[in-house]
Amino acid sequence: MKPALELLNVSVESRISEVTVQIGAGAMVGLIGPNGSGKSTLLQVAAGLLPATGSVRWAGNPLDGLTILERGRRAAWVPQEAHFEFGFTVRSVVAQARFAHGDDERGVDEALAQFDLTALAQRPVNRLSGGERQRVLLARACATEAPLQLWDEPLAALDPRHALELLVRARRLREAGKTVLLSLHDLRIAHCLDLVVVMDRGKLRACGRPEDVMTPELLRDVFGVKASTLPGLTLELP
Amino acid sequence: MTPAWVPRIALPFVWVALVVLIVVSLGVGDLWLSPARIWAGLMHQDELAATVLWQVRLPRLCVAMLVGAALSASGLVMQAYFRNSLASPGLLGVSSGGAAGAVIAIGAGWATTSLFILPVAAICGAFAATMAVVVLAHRGASTERLLLAGVALNALLGAVTSYVLSNFTLTYERNAQVLFWLLGGIEDRTWEHVAMITPVLAAAALLWPLGRPMDLLSLGAQEAQSLGVNVRALRRRMLLLATVMTALATAVAGTVGFVGLIVPHMLRLIVGPEHRRLVPLALVGGAAFVLACDLIGRAAGGLRLGIVTALVGGPFFLWLLRRQT
Repeated sequence: MKPALELLNVSVESRISEVTVQIGAGAMVGLIGPNGSGKSTLLQVAAGLLPATGSVRWAGNPLDGLTILERGRRAAWVPQEAHFEFGFTVRSVVAQARFAHGDDERGVDEALAQFDLTALAQRPVNRLSGGERQRVLLARACATEAPLQLWDEPLAALDPRHALELLVRARRLREAGKTVLLSLHDLRIAHCLDLVVVMDRGKLRACGRPEDVMTPELLRDVFGVKASTLPGLTLELP
Repeated sequence: MTPAWVPRIALPFVWVALVVLIVVSLGVGDLWLSPARIWAGLMHQDELAATVLWQVRLPRLCVAMLVGAALSASGLVMQAYFRNSLASPGLLGVSSGGAAGAVIAIGAGWATTSLFILPVAAICGAFAATMAVVVLAHRGASTERLLLAGVALNALLGAVTSYVLSNFTLTYERNAQVLFWLLGGIEDRTWEHVAMITPVLAAAALLWPLGRPMDLLSLGAQEAQSLGVNVRALRRRMLLLATVMTALATAVAGTVGFVGLIVPHMLRLIVGPEHRRLVPLALVGGAAFVLACDLIGRAAGGLRLGIVTALVGGPFFLWLLRRQT
């Protein structure tokens, strides 16, 4: 089976250089690295939103060969933060997910419910908190039903319960054969990922299973932190 | 929050308002005409009414409606393009660009050679201004940056217009006429002017299907592209349509300010930000707004259109600015 996402020698001037990664279908992959290491750039390149040298393929198809509408059906991208100038309702923003499907509204209400947004459906998005806005963007990404989900720091603004629920949701997407690539800073949740991609100063530092990759040596090297595996606070959904 | 039925009845309501304004606009003046007499005049059954209507009031009415529709729709498009609800053709200097282009054509004597030189020159001027704004204030630029770019461009283009007016050998009467035109007005407009601005209808038809993708674009270009919108093509079409509509309005009516700011803004407050609704509403509502302003001006003893829209729009703009901060 062809990999869901392939990046071959991808470079963006002064941001990332010569990154090659292959991610199989039905995987939940974490993209980690310090601030400014090129995680967001890599996600934008993977989403086909930033011109780069090298090549990007989705399920074996070179991105250049896909129309923009077709890309809208095959991948969903969630930005790190969104600026909403106009007061679109939460529901109408989530319904934008279906633009590439002829605005059929399929799955919109389910996505609202899954992200705890049903009660906020008619609220203008520019009057939401940061975490609520993040959930709107994630609900929109899920409502696209795209097989490739690219999320830029989706957990950053979420409270613990919504963060856990998001991880559960991502795991269900993976079980449904979809691929989720998400950048994150909280290394403590790395254990629920299938694969970890480590970026450092614009270069790919490591890629592999979390238990193989996230060694104390690498974490000290990349993040400058001392890592230990003492049991700490663990959170689970009731 | 606006009740759900308001957006549904907004368009029929604005249409009714427009029809009423049309009847009043045709009926009111030195010669008052009842609706029955307006009908008789339009059918050439009443010669006096027919002369007044066909030679004076109808061309003025058509020009007013098309100018209003054009400026309001361009304002709406520019607001979606720049993702800023304070963007409008007047504030960004696009109208001034159109005016400068038109004045250069008049000053150089080209405008007398063909009827269509003036709108073409206005389109060129407006395009130059649009390109300058796009370079100076990138999309998603802060309100401050956008408005400062507009201030600078308006001043620069005003200087170009003044230079042409003061340094070309126009006769005193011609100069006065051009200055008068620059103030923005639709007096003494003829069917030639209507012909000049008719392409606005084609632009409106091309704008119609862009409502939905404009919704996505107004929430962010990368987001829109990731959802399947061809952002580059959409932006090109939006700029082209907004600029052409502003330029045509400026070519026939001079610089009429604030229409592109007030009308889309008011409509957005009433029906929400969805462009599928806003595009038709902005076209019809803009026509009704300018017609109403023209009526106010006529009632006030011949106040020029540009002055009325500025008197209404200036305070409205300041209110918006205060509300934003």
